[in-house]
Amino acid sequence: METKEILPKMPKSWNPASKPHKFCPGCGHGLVLKALGQVIDELNIQDRVVFGCDIGCSLLSWDFFNVDTVQTHHGRTTPVMVGIKRANPDLITIAYMGDGGGYAIGSQHLVNAANRNDIITAILVNNTVYAMTGGQMAPTTMPGQKTETTPYGRDIKEAGYPMLGPEMVAAIAHEGAYVARGSIAKFRQLKTFIKKAIENQMAGRGFSFIEALSTCPTNWRTNAEKTWDFVENIMPKYFPIGEYKVPGGKEE
Amino acid sequence: MVQKDPEYLKKAISVDVHTGKATFTIFPGLCKGCGLCREKCPERALDWSHKLGVYGTPTVSPNPELCKACRICEQVCPDCAITIRRKDKEEE
Repeated sequence: METKEILPKMPKSWNPASKPHKFCPGCGHGLVLKALGQVIDELNIQDRVVFGCDIGCSLLSWDFFNVDTVQTHHGRTTPVMVGIKRANPDLITIAYMGDGGGYAIGSQHLVNAANRNDIITAILVNNTVYAMTGGQMAPTTMPGQKTETTPYGRDIKEAGYPMLGPEMVAAIAHEGAYVARGSIAKFRQLKTFIKKAIENQMAGRGFSFIEALSTCPTNWRTNAEKTWDFVENIMPKYFPIGEYKVPGGKEE
Repeated sequence: MVQKDPEYLKKAISVDVHTGKATFTIFPGLCKGCGLCREKCPERALDWSHKLGVYGTPTVSPNPELCKACRICEQVCPDCAITIRRKDKEEE
């Protein structure tokens, strides 16, 4: 072909040298980070963003962007980003974590940051399992779902109910907070939610929290067809998609 | 920071689709063969290819007669391994 060279359509804020990224084939992290990268490009804030990643599969994004990145202790992404934001309020801090980091070991920080109405953006990727360690039951594993440690399905009498994060954060968050749940199956909607969350932080209104429903074909042991079915049809039954708290009301 | 051209830029495969109005390009150096694009294609135009991707799994190739260059595959690819360029609209 003699035409102009065709390049992959990666967001400008991605670090091209670290691609192909380290996530498994079919992993939803790539799509959440693609949405985040496009939002960073559109808002033109690449030089102001500080990106913090947690332990778990989400740490594989440590060299994902050409932005300042901190890789924190397990569950401590939220307080680290709060600290950076308080030290330099001009920065835009994005805490990126999985459901284990946000709802298990780091739930205290999520609750307290939401309660203090800290002006940061937290993006939590929910794939219903602890993926990096081999697919054990996580706080978000749905009732009856089979995982490595619940081979007969999660029994709510024994293991309790899964965590509904945005509902909880919306219940305790104050005026000015933005809380929503998106899904990688609705990419444009997820991107809109992330954009609103970052704009909410830039306006200095309050805590912004996004949960993104994501895929894990490796630990769900699903092929592409069943992966889409799970994230599109089965997960939203338990984790309804939408906006839970918007500054000034008017949830979607 | 001096950056050499990444390895995945080499060996890109381009196919003219939609009666020549668009170009479908797959980067086997980025494609992990997850198949998410194949399931999402509304025309069922994507099929497994003999060309192997970065993990030694099959990549995809479009059927030029079925592909309408709608860009859904480009959007759902977590690795940005697919680029579609429409020739009627001058793009960057």
